[in-house]
Amino acid sequence: MTTMKIVPCVSLMLILVQLGCGGPGERDSWLTDDPVELETIDPQGQEVTFWYQHSRERETELLALIGEFNRTNPHGIRVRGEYAGGYNDIYNKMVVAIQSGTVPDLLVAYQNQARAYYQAEGIVDLSPYMESERWGLTQEELDDFYPAFLQQDRYGDAQICFPPNRSLEVLYYNKDWLAEMGFEGPPSTWQEFATMCRAARDNPFSKSPRPSRSLGFMLDIDASRIASMVFGRAGDLYCPEEQRYTLDTEEMRTTLRLMLELMREGAVEIVGDDHGDQAEFSVGQVLFTLRSSSGLPFYRSAVEQDGVGFRWNVTNPPYSGDQPVVNVYGASLAVGRTNPSRQLAAWIFLKWFTQPEQQARWVTASNYFPVRKSTAVKLDELFERSPQYRSAYQLLQYGKSEPAAAGYQQVRRLIQNSVVAILDGENMDRVLRQLEERANRTLLDELY
Amino acid sequence: MTNRITETLTAWIFLAPALLVLTTFGLFPIGYAVFVSMHQWRIRKGIFIGLEHYQRALGDPQALVWLAFGCLFLWLTVRYRARIRQVLSGSPIGLVVYLLLLTGSLWIVFAKGLTVMVETGDHRLYNGLRVTAFYAIGTIPVQLTVAMLLAYLLFMSLWGKGAFRLLLFLPYVTPVIASAVVFRAIFSPHPASMANRIRALLGLAPSRWLYESTSVVGLLLESLGWSQYPSWIDAAFPSLALVSIIMYNIWVYIGYATVILLAGLSAIPKQYYEAAEIDGANSWQVFRNVTLPLVSPTLFFLSMVAVIGTFKAFNHIYIMRTPGARESVDVISIAIFDLIFEYHNAGYASAIAFILFAVITFLTLMQNRLLGRRVFYG
Amino acid sequence: MAKGVRQHRIRTFVVYGGLISWVLVSCFPFVWMILASLMTRGETLRRVLLPANIQWGNYVRAWQDAGFGLYFQNSMIIALLQVTGTLVFSLLAAYSLARIEFRGRGVIFACILATLMIPDSVTMVPNFLTISWLHRNTPMTWLNNWPALTIPFMGNAFSIFLLRQFLRGLPGELWEAARIDGATHFRFLFQIVLPLCRAPLLTVGMFTFIGAWNALAWPLLVTNRPDWRPISVGLQKFVTEAGAEIHLQMAGAVIATAPVLLAYFLIQREFTEGISMSGLKG
Repeated sequence: MTTMKIVPCVSLMLILVQLGCGGPGERDSWLTDDPVELETIDPQGQEVTFWYQHSRERETELLALIGEFNRTNPHGIRVRGEYAGGYNDIYNKMVVAIQSGTVPDLLVAYQNQARAYYQAEGIVDLSPYMESERWGLTQEELDDFYPAFLQQDRYGDAQICFPPNRSLEVLYYNKDWLAEMGFEGPPSTWQEFATMCRAARDNPFSKSPRPSRSLGFMLDIDASRIASMVFGRAGDLYCPEEQRYTLDTEEMRTTLRLMLELMREGAVEIVGDDHGDQAEFSVGQVLFTLRSSSGLPFYRSAVEQDGVGFRWNVTNPPYSGDQPVVNVYGASLAVGRTNPSRQLAAWIFLKWFTQPEQQARWVTASNYFPVRKSTAVKLDELFERSPQYRSAYQLLQYGKSEPAAAGYQQVRRLIQNSVVAILDGENMDRVLRQLEERANRTLLDELY
Repeated sequence: MTNRITETLTAWIFLAPALLVLTTFGLFPIGYAVFVSMHQWRIRKGIFIGLEHYQRALGDPQALVWLAFGCLFLWLTVRYRARIRQVLSGSPIGLVVYLLLLTGSLWIVFAKGLTVMVETGDHRLYNGLRVTAFYAIGTIPVQLTVAMLLAYLLFMSLWGKGAFRLLLFLPYVTPVIASAVVFRAIFSPHPASMANRIRALLGLAPSRWLYESTSVVGLLLESLGWSQYPSWIDAAFPSLALVSIIMYNIWVYIGYATVILLAGLSAIPKQYYEAAEIDGANSWQVFRNVTLPLVSPTLFFLSMVAVIGTFKAFNHIYIMRTPGARESVDVISIAIFDLIFEYHNAGYASAIAFILFAVITFLTLMQNRLLGRRVFYG
Repeated sequence: MAKGVRQHRIRTFVVYGGLISWVLVSCFPFVWMILASLMTRGETLRRVLLPANIQWGNYVRAWQDAGFGLYFQNSMIIALLQVTGTLVFSLLAAYSLARIEFRGRGVIFACILATLMIPDSVTMVPNFLTISWLHRNTPMTWLNNWPALTIPFMGNAFSIFLLRQFLRGLPGELWEAARIDGATHFRFLFQIVLPLCRAPLLTVGMFTFIGAWNALAWPLLVTNRPDWRPISVGLQKFVTEAGAEIHLQMAGAVIATAPVLLAYFLIQREFTEGISMSGLKG
């Protein structure tokens, strides 16, 4: 084992070798953006590869839609859908694809990932396609989109990705339990929310299998949950005018103070298993949960088939401003930088996919929310089947999105750590001050 | 002479296939990562920045020089301790000088080197190193002690050796994705989780396990009624979340260590024990003077494998990591993963990976020098 | 005499008490996993300890939902190819490192060990770039095909290390005798060493099999279609973004674990024997 001595020498040698030979090509030829006249491009017969993360029921419906597009589109475009793993796997695949020049035509991307791809010239700006006379959207169509959704996917002057669907962060509540305790409906203010949480702690739900455990709310440690609660107090995490994070605010403080207080009183707990709050909600051990509306089908089957069975619904988180504010988010679709004909073909599919007919089918199967307002008229069946979906749908108008600033992914992690620190009993002033300072540092120095 | 040439030629022919693959997929990526670490590199290559990433991660370069100097000084002092004391022979001055040199070099290492580096360097790197150190220190000695005990019991058993060996080994061959998910559920903070049911049996309140970022010592002090303990205690001991992960790690690897140690025990010739018995040694003396020295090569081998293993551990920590644990379970390999996938910064992540590489190499070398010498090869 | 018997009894008690308690600890998570896989979803939500009625149907559903059929077959082929390749390559390399004296042996061994010290997340990207270069510039189809999934793992430092440890322990007289008979290294390796290597080879084979069976990130990177994807991809489909289905997830985990455990039961004697021999010489 004395041979281990050589390891450092070898690594040094490798460094030198690498320095000598240099890396892969500086800028690949396929990247050059010739000013092509969009109107003259022919997308006839192009193959489009589409990487997504959906599995099981959602995948089945997506593939059915793709099949229909392939049969009916007038250009003979063929889309091939490919399951590419989870969001991280897709990022991973895209990173290597950009470096080896083999990007897919269409892929699912979060806004921060899309920004990274765009900066690395792996995806294209969609605004020329949207504005194109021949291929683009009419003013009428454009107005049909919820403006906030399109806005979320912009970066500077570029439309770096395009929304296929969205989700809302909603408050799930147990209607029967509320009625048992003599409340008429869900809380509209934070004060009411706290009262109901305390009441739930003292009055276990009649159908609960374990009455010794009775909670008002379970807090999932995630920046989106915190954002929702801050939004509900008319606050924000980011100030676009000053281009800085605002995390050490009164809204943040009252949010955390309330959580801390309710936790100490035993009315609130932190979620400790994957979807543990959903599980406890379905057996009547927790009154409220705050989660994405995309969980609706899971809540429905959990409560109505596998849980203890009760009436339930969703609503906006409590609010203290003039009207509710609901956090809206969701991954989008980006078009890979391939060649003009393929890019156009991908856009044609994207445009087709967001048309109301297709949107209606997609959201019916996935329980996501459509991105175009006119889809609503085609959703009667879904509304009928899922009154909860209808309730959530009515909240779309109150949508507000989390910061689209650079490096928000890092900031999310920072927020989560700080929230846990405060709930663990650390000094709130100090932790929040540090949080804001660090978050703003990521703006200056996005690289680290 | 021809013989020599044929020998060498045969050796290279035999090595060729494995070496070809290893160079392409093992060494080349290391070299490539060095190249990446010297550039601004998010998804594509940016400008060349030399050692800037390293400096950013490690902190003040001056402190690094001090650290290296202190280590060199320390090494010289220890290496030539006999000489130093000989020069000033007889008088106690030799000892005093030696101790002074020792404290002096340690002071340089810590006060001028490490402390400044930690202050000026990247928090994630140093937190990662700290957590990794807890992880290794918490795992390896316990694992080896329990494995030694089990191996001894197996060695003494008369029947069922094969069956026990079979069952002890099960955790090691189970896919990590499956077993880590199970442990995540077992160590959940829910009052009805397995770990909390066991606590309830002992009459204890439920614990937060994988969600607990407070150190185990801190929790102990709290349970003894001292909730205002000094804050350095949480920094100096592993969190309960990390300890839960350590327990998983021990669970997985104990069978492996036991079986290897059992083989080591079985290889000890009977005469040694008989001779010890004739000398009237009690069982502890037999263990201390016969068994332990004779299995020391095996223990050494196991500790080497464990050091490399714990420093690179990733999959199960990634699965068992929770937001509640904050940074208390973020070992270096987790920090590297975050840098690549959340911060989109491959250049910086590669630099950190090389610092890890250097640390593992250094530790393996040290282990070889310090422990390797004590190993008794019969 | 009576005292001797009592001492013997105490000893038996301590030995078996200790062993049995650790066996309980090491088997407990399996019991938990199997129990959870046999519950209804309602039972997992209520966190009961035992299923009221055993739900074998979970296995059928998990099998169908994850599309395990194809993945199973893929994983088998990938694992077997990888095991064969690794064994041949590693045995040759280990023999050369252990039994032949030549210049540079130490450096090569150190280089091989160096590959163990870098986290996989860092090497994944450059390895993909290499594969895609090979895909474009050699006649073989690498991506979406077995070469990308198996060849990069055929040179495995740990396998070489384990086999080298074993080969170094072989008595030198064997080679001396063979040399007098005029045997080459090649003949010596295949006629004399190979039959002796059964246990260590099975051990290394088992490790490779486990590694191949569990791989997830790399196979996803180098394949775009299900035709060559392994079983862990199927398992991942139960990790949805919106709901917990522990019973199906555990049924899937049992299905994915079963072949590894089966392989282990079949060769466990040689496996433990092979493992035992690796740690004896420094």
